[in-house]
Amino acid sequence: MSVHDSNTRDGLSRRLLVGAGAGVALGLGAGWRPARAAAANTLRIGFISPRTGPLAGFGEGDPFILGLVRKAFANGLTLNGTTYEVTIFDRDTQSDPARASQLAKDLINGQQIDLMLTTSTPEVVNPVADACEAAGVPCLSTIVPWESWYFGRGAKPGQPSPFKWTYHFCFGTAQFRDLYISSWNNDVASNKRVAVLCPNDADGNAIRAHLLPDLAKAGFDMVDPGGYQDGTTDYSAQIAMFKKAGCEVFCTFPIPPDFTSFWRQAAQQGLTRQMKIVTVAKTGLFPSQMEALGPLGYRINAGAYWHPAFPYGSALTGLSSAQLASTYQATTGRQWQQQLGPSLALFDAMVATLKSAGNPKDKSAVAKAMSRLQTTTVMGRIDFVNGPVPNVATTNLIGAQWLKATSGKYKLDYRTFEHAEDPSVPIQGPLEPYKM
Amino acid sequence: MFWLNQFLQGVLLGGYYALLAAGLSFLFGVMRVINLAHGSLAVLGAFIMMVIYQTLGISPLGGLALMLPVMALLGVALQFCIIEPSLKGGALVPLLATFGLALICDNVLFSIFGADTQSFAADIGTLSYGSWAIGGIFISQLACLVFAAALLVLGGTQLLLSRTQIGRRIRATAEDEDAARLSGVDTRLVRAATTALAMVMVGLAGAALGASGSFDPYAGGPQLLYAFEAVVIGGTGSLWGTLIGGIVLGVAQGVGGALNTHLSQIAGHAVFLVVLIARLYQGGALSAYLRRLRMRVA
Repeated sequence: MSVHDSNTRDGLSRRLLVGAGAGVALGLGAGWRPARAAAANTLRIGFISPRTGPLAGFGEGDPFILGLVRKAFANGLTLNGTTYEVTIFDRDTQSDPARASQLAKDLINGQQIDLMLTTSTPEVVNPVADACEAAGVPCLSTIVPWESWYFGRGAKPGQPSPFKWTYHFCFGTAQFRDLYISSWNNDVASNKRVAVLCPNDADGNAIRAHLLPDLAKAGFDMVDPGGYQDGTTDYSAQIAMFKKAGCEVFCTFPIPPDFTSFWRQAAQQGLTRQMKIVTVAKTGLFPSQMEALGPLGYRINAGAYWHPAFPYGSALTGLSSAQLASTYQATTGRQWQQQLGPSLALFDAMVATLKSAGNPKDKSAVAKAMSRLQTTTVMGRIDFVNGPVPNVATTNLIGAQWLKATSGKYKLDYRTFEHAEDPSVPIQGPLEPYKM
Repeated sequence: MFWLNQFLQGVLLGGYYALLAAGLSFLFGVMRVINLAHGSLAVLGAFIMMVIYQTLGISPLGGLALMLPVMALLGVALQFCIIEPSLKGGALVPLLATFGLALICDNVLFSIFGADTQSFAADIGTLSYGSWAIGGIFISQLACLVFAAALLVLGGTQLLLSRTQIGRRIRATAEDEDAARLSGVDTRLVRAATTALAMVMVGLAGAALGASGSFDPYAGGPQLLYAFEAVVIGGTGSLWGTLIGGIVLGVAQGVGGALNTHLSQIAGHAVFLVVLIARLYQGGALSAYLRRLRMRVA
């Protein structure tokens, strides 16, 4: 998996190769680089994400992102006049929280990493962050709704933050609320009666407790039949209830295979015909999840945490958001997906942190720098000074809609239609009413 | 009307469970092999079908027609390479071997196809969501098709076992392999044919999964669970029992979900547990129960 694991021989041959390449390109003089002291001037970075198992969709772009980042670090990272060699230890949790925790401990104790980066779902991020907090290693993470990360790991509302070493940037329920209110009061008129399909799991219960009351206060009639178990195969009870209530808006937070089953049954039993706006979360993040629905997936909308239309770039790689997507498509032949943004943003935020930390090998200086971090990544502004709670910075969700592609090699387009949280993201077209 | 609808949807869902469980039930009834790779092999069947019809550019039905023989061949390979050698090591070894096969199958599929969610929905037109409205009740066309397939598979296999020469040989091999061999039955061949047939059923289940839901390389686990529950509820080794078991499981989930949305899955598991315990008490000890099963197989 990992391309170079602190293996001296690998490191040497790579350095030789880079040196040789530079020599050929620029003449022999340019091939010379300052000698580096081995351990003291090497920054050791852990990167943990799910690349196989049920969460593998999230980690699909990570080999590509790691390739970009390793290329950017090929000549080392210069901080305050000192050039550091950067070694990234990337690990795959196989979607298993216990393994995530084990991997984090191995990297902390075995590889003596200076800093940890991790992303995608509480099943990956929370155990890794807990291990880092316990060991006193700075950890930067993303793509877990921040409430699940902060309160889910034992912080109490109104009390000072119990975390010293772990920092997190992501959207939370407030971003869902603003996105949904803006999406449902948008171009498409409806009776504002919302069908809610929310499972009885950690995310579903957080949404039920924190988001649904806010939406009800904003003037929507929330029809919630109650939680169901993940993996349910028959939804006729919920469908009957939504039909009876005459709901025209749909909102859900299911695991992806459950939504596929639900939406097919909803179509079979005539529920989809009365729907005008269909908003999904947790599913509908990646093109393949929507393609599995066939024509039933057209005109479903969801929040995008990153999109090629974002007007931000990556300082580390020099790529704009649009270039990031097009490079990915050109390199892998696959359609861009929104996890590319946060995976790259982690590295940009890391470089910004290390630049302001003074000594990047001093763990408490790095943790302190994280708490003061204010920077811009491909995901937009990350500001830990003005976060909702200490240790947390919020990022934005932009409304986007899956539409049948009119041209190109991919089946679907994902078009922004709303930008209430970040007006600098351009709107690519109006929200189209759901119909089938 | 509401309850009638819930009940009917449960019965239709039960058809899928029965089709899913048919291969597991057949393999256990005849070979005494609990195939823990059952769910993963169903997913494998779905992937094979997808590759066939997409590369050849034919309809999914054509893909299904070509996939089933491939699954039959895989069944023969499964018998000769995994089940037969592992059966020599005792009853537990095939269990472990098929569990290992499931892990390998999942991860090989992942390394080839990635984590993408797949489905045939986009290729079967309106069938994936078409329905007939009868009064206030909607009957899904696809669910009816799957139910009919389950009836056909289970009924056909029952007829095959009771009325044909190969059926008699399969039953003879199941009841007393040594005696069957003495009477001139090539039991190795019979066993290979049995596994091939079971894999065809598994392939059909995979096709039903891909058409009515979605699948990805790791989707096999839950499918195995449902299949297992349907087999146990209906009585291990009995094919009509498997149909009843599937329907009972589907109806339990449908009615449970109607009482309270939390109860849908739990109702299914609870029925499974109650039936399991009842059977154990009814037959005395587990061993006595299994011995009795051997007698009235198929």
